[in-house]
Amino acid sequence: MTKLKLVDVNYTYSEGTPFRKDALRNINIEIEDNCITGLIGHTGCGKSTLVQLLNGLLFPTSGEVMFDGKNIKEKGYDLKTLRHKVGLVFQYPEYQLFEDTVYDDIAFGPKNMGLDKDEIDRRIREAALFVGLEERYFEVSPFDLSGGQKRRAAIAGIMAMDPDVLILDEPAAGLDPIGREEILGGIYSYQRKRKNAVVIVSHSMEDMARYSDKLIVMNGGEVFMQGNCREVFSETDKLLSVGLDVPQITKFMRELKSKGVDVRTDIFTVDEARAEILSKIGGRGNA
Amino acid sequence: MLKDITLGQFFPGRSFLHRIDPRTKIIAALLYIVAVFLCDSIMSFIILLAATLALIALSGVPVKIIVKGLKPLIFILAFTTIYNVFFYKGDHILVHWKFITIYLEGVVFALIMGLRIICLLTGSSVLMTYTTSPIMLTDGIERLLSPLNKIKAPVHEFAMMMSIALRFIPTLVEETDKIMCAQKARGADFSSGGLIKRARALIPVLVPLFISAFRRASDLAVAMECRCYRGGSGRTRMTKTHFGARDVILFTATVILGTVIVLSNIYFPIWMI
Ligand SMILES: Nc1ncnc2c1ncn2[C@@H]1O[C@H](COP(=O)(O)OP(=O)(O)O)[C@@H](O)[C@H]1O
Ligand SMILES: [Mg+2]
Repeated sequence: MTKLKLVDVNYTYSEGTPFRKDALRNINIEIEDNCITGLIGHTGCGKSTLVQLLNGLLFPTSGEVMFDGKNIKEKGYDLKTLRHKVGLVFQYPEYQLFEDTVYDDIAFGPKNMGLDKDEIDRRIREAALFVGLEERYFEVSPFDLSGGQKRRAAIAGIMAMDPDVLILDEPAAGLDPIGREEILGGIYSYQRKRKNAVVIVSHSMEDMARYSDKLIVMNGGEVFMQGNCREVFSETDKLLSVGLDVPQITKFMRELKSKGVDVRTDIFTVDEARAEILSKIGGRGNA
Repeated sequence: MLKDITLGQFFPGRSFLHRIDPRTKIIAALLYIVAVFLCDSIMSFIILLAATLALIALSGVPVKIIVKGLKPLIFILAFTTIYNVFFYKGDHILVHWKFITIYLEGVVFALIMGLRIICLLTGSSVLMTYTTSPIMLTDGIERLLSPLNKIKAPVHEFAMMMSIALRFIPTLVEETDKIMCAQKARGADFSSGGLIKRARALIPVLVPLFISAFRRASDLAVAMECRCYRGGSGRTRMTKTHFGARDVILFTATVILGTVIVLSNIYFPIWMI
């Protein structure tokens, strides 16, 4: 089911000044339930702007944002509830921690929703589990955590609000490979359990190929391509033409094909590549 | 939003005023301020208004932006106007009702004060902040004050502190905006409730803001030391400004403005009353 829908959305920063900047043009997208949508594109292509439109922090210069079929710009629309239902984790969320303890910080969102103490406690523990934050950190000051742990605490803070749509702006930016894996893996298992809508913003094709069901590729403020991973990654040339990358394994399969091995190139995970190659050389996968 | 604060904000352009040496503009602004306070007759106010409008025209800054920049002044303006209308004593009574007496002189004086404040701000900000980038402005101040180096005043350090502070105002405003948005996304509410509730609601913004300001300051200090910053002695400048014909024109014009205002006070000492 479609949760969020953007119709002909344009967004311009600082309209009417010399600093005027068209950030988004002609955006038509849908965010669906029970699906991880990957939003991908170069730095500066408008990803962060787009996600702020989704929970009513910004309003489109023209066009409409619909949540559950209702236009959020309508008079009397309850933006506060919208922000409870559409949870947004900003880029570098670790800089927004402020409470005395990690536990209190994660509790900030649920508290603002007016939940009772036991429910808040339950949600905090559950969210912490998903992001891999151990309970021994609960009573620690958030400022004493490592960068990666702060990030986890901040993400848990939004997860604990149990939103219908969870949006994460570059949740893995600036982390080491293991940290990336753990955070993205945690988000993945969270979504698979909750079956809600999750949007992950990233500029890593590699990560998106692994974790998303659907992809929206942006370029220069416009939607450049959208579809499921296979559809998008099968158009390698189109992606490469605007300087976007494809997963390494896709590149590898293309290389293999150009060397004369007749393999499919719309492959974006290592497992799939392995199966494909094995089937071509007539072997059986036994490892 | 917070970014709509335009007072004291640079408006990039290539107008006549933009291309004048910052030192000249600072001196011209001081002269202009003196001229505003010298105004003491109808004639002189007309001249001042004309000069201010001319400055706006020369700056190329849209009037809309300037008017928007005056918005924060509304309180001060309202206060001085009301104060003068009700408490200024004169000879010509306009309204007399119970214990309230309004004199014509009071109304005139209130108008003059309002006009003075508006001209003061518009003129000086058009001359300096709207048309001079903060870096150029502090550069100008540093060079104007450089004679004080002789008495061992830390002019360069002072100017450097100022330019860093100015440089980081937009950054901090942007950061405040971002943190507020992030906390709003977590359900924070900044616009309802009583005074105490609203003040408390700012804690989630102020704590991260302070922490990041300190982090920035220490990063910047390290970065500056890494690039061998050792204070002002022997430093050269990337852009050197020079006095030119424009500077002479602006300077002369402001001196003339002051003179004409003084003369008009003497030869046309008339008020409306
Ligand atoms: N607050 C702002 N004011 C003006 N321009 C902005 C602002 N935020 C972003 N932009 C501009 O909008 C464009 C899109 O930015 P953003 O959405 O942050 O891109 P991304 O998240 O994809 O890197 C960029 O060119 C950026 O310079
Ligand atoms: Mg971004």
